[in-house]
Amino acid sequence: MDAQFAISGRDFVISVTDKGVARSIVKMKHNEDKTWQLSSHTLMSVSGEAGDTANFSEYIQGNVRLYSMRNSQDLSPSELANFIRGELAAALRSRSPSQVNLLVAGYDKGKDEAALYWIDYLSAMAKVPFAAHGYCGYFLYSVMDREYTPEITLEEAKALIKKCFEVLKTRFIVDFANYTIKVVDRNGTHEIRQDEL
Amino acid sequence: MNRFVEQLAANDVAELGMPGSLLAGPTAAMAGPTGHGLSFELAAGNNPAEFAQHFIDAKSEKDSLIKIAHGTTTLAFKFREGVMVATDSRATSGNVIASQTVKKVIEINPYLLGTMAGGAADCSFWERVLGMECRLHELRNKKRISVAAASKLLANLVYRYKGMGLSMGTMVAGWDEKGPGLYYVDSDGQRLANDIFSVGSGSTFAYGVLDSHYRYDMDIEEARDVARRAIYHATHRDAYSGGVVRMYLVQRDGWVPYPLEDVGDLYYQYHPEVQLTNRTESPLTVVPA
Amino acid sequence: MARRYDSRTTIFSPEGRLYQVEYAMEAISHAGTVIGVLSKDGIVLAAERQATSNLLEQSVDNEKIYEMNENVVAGVAGHAADANILINQSRIVAQRYLLKYDSPIPVEQLVRNLCDLKQGYTQHGGLRPFGVAFLCAGWDSALGFQLYQSDPAGNYSSWKATCIGENNNNAQSILKQEYKDDDKEESGPNVKSVGSQMTMDDALKLTCQVLSKTIDTAKLSSEKLEFATLTLKSGKPCIHVYTSSEIDEVLKTYESVIKPADNQ
Repeated sequence: MDAQFAISGRDFVISVTDKGVARSIVKMKHNEDKTWQLSSHTLMSVSGEAGDTANFSEYIQGNVRLYSMRNSQDLSPSELANFIRGELAAALRSRSPSQVNLLVAGYDKGKDEAALYWIDYLSAMAKVPFAAHGYCGYFLYSVMDREYTPEITLEEAKALIKKCFEVLKTRFIVDFANYTIKVVDRNGTHEIRQDEL
Repeated sequence: MNRFVEQLAANDVAELGMPGSLLAGPTAAMAGPTGHGLSFELAAGNNPAEFAQHFIDAKSEKDSLIKIAHGTTTLAFKFREGVMVATDSRATSGNVIASQTVKKVIEINPYLLGTMAGGAADCSFWERVLGMECRLHELRNKKRISVAAASKLLANLVYRYKGMGLSMGTMVAGWDEKGPGLYYVDSDGQRLANDIFSVGSGSTFAYGVLDSHYRYDMDIEEARDVARRAIYHATHRDAYSGGVVRMYLVQRDGWVPYPLEDVGDLYYQYHPEVQLTNRTESPLTVVPA
Repeated sequence: MARRYDSRTTIFSPEGRLYQVEYAMEAISHAGTVIGVLSKDGIVLAAERQATSNLLEQSVDNEKIYEMNENVVAGVAGHAADANILINQSRIVAQRYLLKYDSPIPVEQLVRNLCDLKQGYTQHGGLRPFGVAFLCAGWDSALGFQLYQSDPAGNYSSWKATCIGENNNNAQSILKQEYKDDDKEESGPNVKSVGSQMTMDDALKLTCQVLSKTIDTAKLSSEKLEFATLTLKSGKPCIHVYTSSEIDEVLKTYESVIKPADNQ
């Protein structure tokens, strides 16, 4: 049960993941960063089956970095998302499918715009303005539908995320407590603390 | 010739294989666990994991061929002086205590320890394989392997057999160039770094004591006391944990074991007011002060 | 004994040379000329067909200029049959890339892949190197218009204007002289596309000029020539392979620069 969602504006994406790792009924960790840096301007948040998450993400990260090294240029967010989707689809029909849900948040320097891709463990993909995976979606999609506009500013998006935290806190049975919040924009990626929202 | 053309031109597959996955091996049946000629046979067929599932005890305990003893309490934490590792020593088979003197700490090498929870055989087999890999690393690189790398090796090793019935929840503790290291690795392929871990059926009890009394700044005696009490209280409430408290401290020069402490003795030590009596109404009676 | 070092591609001669590869390059220097000229808003490729006969059916297909992908067009000099293999492979590689990333392959990656294949044949036992050189004109979003040349050894290089095939030395020197460039360095046109002052008209004109001086014929005609351009149309690469009537039109437009070839 992870919290994983993201909101994109014209020139930024904010990615949110919780920091907890649980096994059975035990919280084993409270400070795990579930996002993976794929290039200077692309970030991937991952949830799903224990073991698969790290393994699939490292595989993607390794290959993406190999591409950058070989070709002296980074893949764009759209190219990355398509690559990841393809690899996940190939794994799905293999002996060892990876059960991972992904959000790819990136800033396309060529097109000068932000991009957010939603990919689930069955490797369905969609380019979306905002997204969530798992139970969080049941609570947050309505909130984001209500509040979102394509012209949303970074400050407004931060406020919306704060609203999302409130909803989860009041209505969701799980208390996530800690979140990793990262912003991807023209300048790359940077983390913001929960109290900076 | 066309094959040659294909081979040179086939640039489309992602070329870094998944380290732990079967994709890395030539075929499932041929993929050895270590790459050093040791092989761990898998069921022949399309999906060894699915095949194995029928024999794993998760679904129907009665008919399963692979029965795994799960009860355990193990814990480890980093503190000012190093890493403290403590375990109980009970092995159960169903509702029978199979042993009270199990060694659930595996000495991988003089600087690395592994703990055992889940399948005892799985733990000792894979941690011995890990011991071999660590020694080979040492010979190849003229340098001891880091705790991070060692735990990653173990995670990759077991990830290849994910879903095939391995049961292992282990903590890898040690000391390397970066100082104390502590990782949790399990048979799902999950690997976590943290300051405190506890694994096994008694872990909830151990966590309770550990979380409320742990401080990073403890000295060795305080740390021993916290570890000892956490294991003791777990054995007290968890029927599948018991025997003796086995404790190790890992520091710069490697690990040292401490003498074993019987949890039965600890009971009277922690509850001096309790005495054995011969009275019929209750075998254990609190004597009014 | 003489054939000790030139009968296999995998063996160095005592002087450190790979004769088979050199022979392959030699074969290309007798092949029909291919010229590529980069301008600030596109690339011109032109090629000479050598063997023509009035008995030969004029097929609709080109034999010298091929579309490799939506963003890359190539001119070949050398063995046409060898070229077919490489073009086919390159088309497959480009499509695989599209499948994987949903975006056209960057030009240099396609060229590099082609050259890796060529290189393999200079090293593996019992195989003959490909007897073809390519001029690849391409466009991608990262680097814009690019013109690459490759040889049978598997080397490739990027140019503003270059030429392969017969008389390429002659053509190179004309290109070097006539190419209008921003930076006035003497080092030649071997720099990336930025800074070209040429327009597409300039490039076509220069191409015709060079063709007239390198092709040994009384009068240039569409029968012996192939033309293609790569430009951008509303942000997307657009490859245009000229029909024979369009080629005649081009030749007519630039008649003034096409002087009857001096007997060199």
